[in-house]
Amino acid sequence: MKKLLTGNSAVSYGVMLSRAEVISAYPITPQTTIVEELSEICSDGRLKAKFIRVESEHSALACVSAACATGARVFTATSSHGLAYMHEMLHWTSGTRLPVVMVNANRAIGSPWNIWCDHSDSLSQRDTGWIQLYCQSAQEALDTVIQAYRIAEEVLLPVMVLEDGFFLSHTSDTVDVPEQKEVDAFLPPYRPRYKLDPADPHTFNIMADPALFISFKHEAQKAMDEAQKAILRVDREFKSRFGRSYGYMGKVHLTDADVVLLTMGTAASTALEVIEAMRKQGKKVGLCRLRMFRPFPQAALCKVLSKAKKIAVLDRDNSLGAGGIVAQELKAALYNLPRKPKVFEFIAGLGGRDITPSTIQEILEYTIKNPSPNGLPVWMGVQK
Amino acid sequence: MEKWNNGKKTSQLKMKKKKQVKKKPSPSLPKTPPFPPFSLSFEGTQASKTGTWRYLTPAYLNKLAPCNEACPAGEDVEAAMVLAGQEDYLEAWEKIIQENPLPRVCGRVCFHPCEGSCNRKDLDEAVSINALERFLGDYAYQSGKRFAAPEQKRKEKIAIIGSGPAGLSCAYHLASLGYRVTIFEAQPKLGGVLRYGIPPYRLPKDILDQEIENILSLGVEVRASTALGAEVKWADLKQFDGLFLATGAWKSLPLNIPGEEAEGVLSGLEFLRKVNSGEAVALGQRVAIIGGGNTAMDAARSALRLGAEPLIIYRRTKEEMPAWEEEVAEAEEEAIEFIFLSSPVKILTENGKVKGIECLKNLLGPPGKDGRRQPQPIAGSNFALPVDAVISSIGETPDFSFLPGELGKSAGSLSVNEGGATSLKNVFAGGDIIDQPRTVSYAIGSGKKAAMAIDATLRAKELEEALRRARRGKKGSLSMASYRNGSLDSLGQEVVEFSELNTAYFKRQPRRAKEKISGLQRGSNFSEVTLGLSSIAANDEAKRCFNCGVCNLCHNCFIYCPDMAISARPDKLGYEINYDYCKGCCICVEECPRGAISVEVKR
Repeated sequence: MKKLLTGNSAVSYGVMLSRAEVISAYPITPQTTIVEELSEICSDGRLKAKFIRVESEHSALACVSAACATGARVFTATSSHGLAYMHEMLHWTSGTRLPVVMVNANRAIGSPWNIWCDHSDSLSQRDTGWIQLYCQSAQEALDTVIQAYRIAEEVLLPVMVLEDGFFLSHTSDTVDVPEQKEVDAFLPPYRPRYKLDPADPHTFNIMADPALFISFKHEAQKAMDEAQKAILRVDREFKSRFGRSYGYMGKVHLTDADVVLLTMGTAASTALEVIEAMRKQGKKVGLCRLRMFRPFPQAALCKVLSKAKKIAVLDRDNSLGAGGIVAQELKAALYNLPRKPKVFEFIAGLGGRDITPSTIQEILEYTIKNPSPNGLPVWMGVQK
Repeated sequence: MEKWNNGKKTSQLKMKKKKQVKKKPSPSLPKTPPFPPFSLSFEGTQASKTGTWRYLTPAYLNKLAPCNEACPAGEDVEAAMVLAGQEDYLEAWEKIIQENPLPRVCGRVCFHPCEGSCNRKDLDEAVSINALERFLGDYAYQSGKRFAAPEQKRKEKIAIIGSGPAGLSCAYHLASLGYRVTIFEAQPKLGGVLRYGIPPYRLPKDILDQEIENILSLGVEVRASTALGAEVKWADLKQFDGLFLATGAWKSLPLNIPGEEAEGVLSGLEFLRKVNSGEAVALGQRVAIIGGGNTAMDAARSALRLGAEPLIIYRRTKEEMPAWEEEVAEAEEEAIEFIFLSSPVKILTENGKVKGIECLKNLLGPPGKDGRRQPQPIAGSNFALPVDAVISSIGETPDFSFLPGELGKSAGSLSVNEGGATSLKNVFAGGDIIDQPRTVSYAIGSGKKAAMAIDATLRAKELEEALRRARRGKKGSLSMASYRNGSLDSLGQEVVEFSELNTAYFKRQPRRAKEKISGLQRGSNFSEVTLGLSSIAANDEAKRCFNCGVCNLCHNCFIYCPDMAISARPDKLGYEINYDYCKGCCICVEECPRGAISVEVKR
């Protein structure tokens, strides 16, 4: 059934349709309306889940992780400082291989105080062992939540679904909400091999001495490698049932593009219009919208980008002292290719700064004009 | 998170894979299970004994509540409060009468140092312990509760001289221990200062009678109207195996001013004894009471009730008055007049009768040895007041005239050692005759101590050790329960301070104080001034008690222990800590509202 939904509302529907059993969260803008709506959904009986109010995000994740360890399908949502506050539990959750699904509405991290969108919150958690999927639309957010449970439960890794704060979380779009029975057919109940059960007691997370610790980390890495396959497998099955698929990335005019813009999230929607306009002017530009940041699809990116001459990476984040995070990862991925495209780096849209068509156009024209990057990222819209 | 344990092999990780690597692969055996996805135990849940990380060790060491330490009669106030809070008033009463046979008396006349030391006063107001004691005593009596007969009988006979609070307490405890007790009392009725000193508006006589009856029902023999040195001689007492002297301090100090011998001049105690015996006392209209102590307050308030106009003359100011604040306040409520900073210099007489009193005004000088500022007379400031009677209440002293001269004395008191023993063998003393604060509760405490000392002597116990085990804290409080069970008291000796409590768990709540009939209603009769608590108020009040230092099963430690190392004891009377898993975070110590858990540094 088609509904006009905000990104946050679409997420709530996704969680409801996935039949989450335990939900715990602490309110934080711009995520709050997700769990607000879910609390109503739980309260009016549309979803039979235990909704647990907690005093912090750290507790929220501890709470859902513990519930997940007992075999429950769980959900939490957060943003920005809330995600930062979860940091320790992010590691524990992935280390315990708990298939927790969380939505993070991307928001800048202070200081200065700011409630608007950028990707610095989730990208600064890239090493915590969570799968990260960045969405572009409300439909994708809903679909990705449902897919996330399948992926998480198959490979036993937690999944973070990302949506741009306000740009996606608070804007409305037409969303095709799947039927419950279709989702049930796609997403069977969670049946873990190991769970906390008084009838069969185990201690989880007991100490692993130096002889063993590395092996557990290796197991988790193997799971991340497996996740690359699982994500595509799940996406294919999703397409067969619902007609929509997302893959690792969105690709526009990549087969013959000389200059490719690589970015994540909603900026890709703006970029799409600019790219189509420039194509009409005969410029061979293309767009790659990265959806899966963790695991990082090195091989797939090399494959689709190796033919391009230049790549403009638009990072809505910055690793202070290093540069845009997506650009760093991309450059590392391309390094061993015999013939490498040049990578131009741009930092834009931090703290909710608008990325307008003219911003994108400026980025692409700069990339076309200059034969090679000058070695430093270009910061867009900085006050002089 | 937690730190690695210095290379020590603590990992108990047991995995099927590890265990099975040594086995030869065989087609009949199942395939080696895969390496598990995350660290987990396969043999129960008690794999890692994280208790080895512990540096600090929490332990349930019940401590002493400050009220218990402060009670001169040695009551286990805290235990009584717990029980009263659970509406188990009769058990609460049992706790009190283990230590003090006179809760209905103390609940009315005790100066309640327990309340003075109550930790709750640092949060809002002290618990109304005294009012609760009265409630429990009255409740138990009205419920028909009486003292239980002693479990055993002893053949030894003990004589008790004097039946005030010290003598009654000693008689009760010795009778409860099975001794054959005889009380010798000079007055026709028992009670001493309780009967002849304290007026009935503070302690109604029927209540006193009931309390005494209860003690006598244990088989105590009474020889009333039998004064030592007159009806009974010292030599007659030789037949007893032990002797307790508690004859009090009944001699009033003289004013040492002209006119003191005139008709109409009375001593405070003599006046009170007469009034309390029902003897007629002709006071006239205006009565001057000299002194600022409790006897002076009692005398003035009794005089008021006899229809006179009392006037209290005190040489210093209200600040320095030795009478208890409550008594002074009640006198003021009854509109009794005070004249401060005035000392009588002469009683004015006419035909040998009091006609007036001449006083000198004082200034307050520097503090004296007792810390109170000393009065300094102002020369020529003399003034006279017309009065019809003078009651002198400037202090009392024991009378030794009927005691053998060889009994050691010092500074107006009978000398006794730590155990209450006098210089004569098997002769003990207590109450106002020895050097201790002259209060009912101290007298009760000294009677109990003598009972312990007499029992220990006759049973050839090491007295010092017995008293050490009975002692509660450093203020001389003694527990008969501990003395009797002989083991070192589980309550320990360490007193809980306010800073050790977690007051976040207590909400502020005003105290339910005793109510009083109005000052106007009091002047014409000797009816009891102070009213008791209702059972609802008593229960509310008991629940205000912090239960300092004693576990009352609030579950906080159990709830907060992050290692689930705390569980209920099998007897359900407390909690125990599983030191295999206690990491020593001591959150339990912090979260215990009442300081019942202590931290010990490991070795």
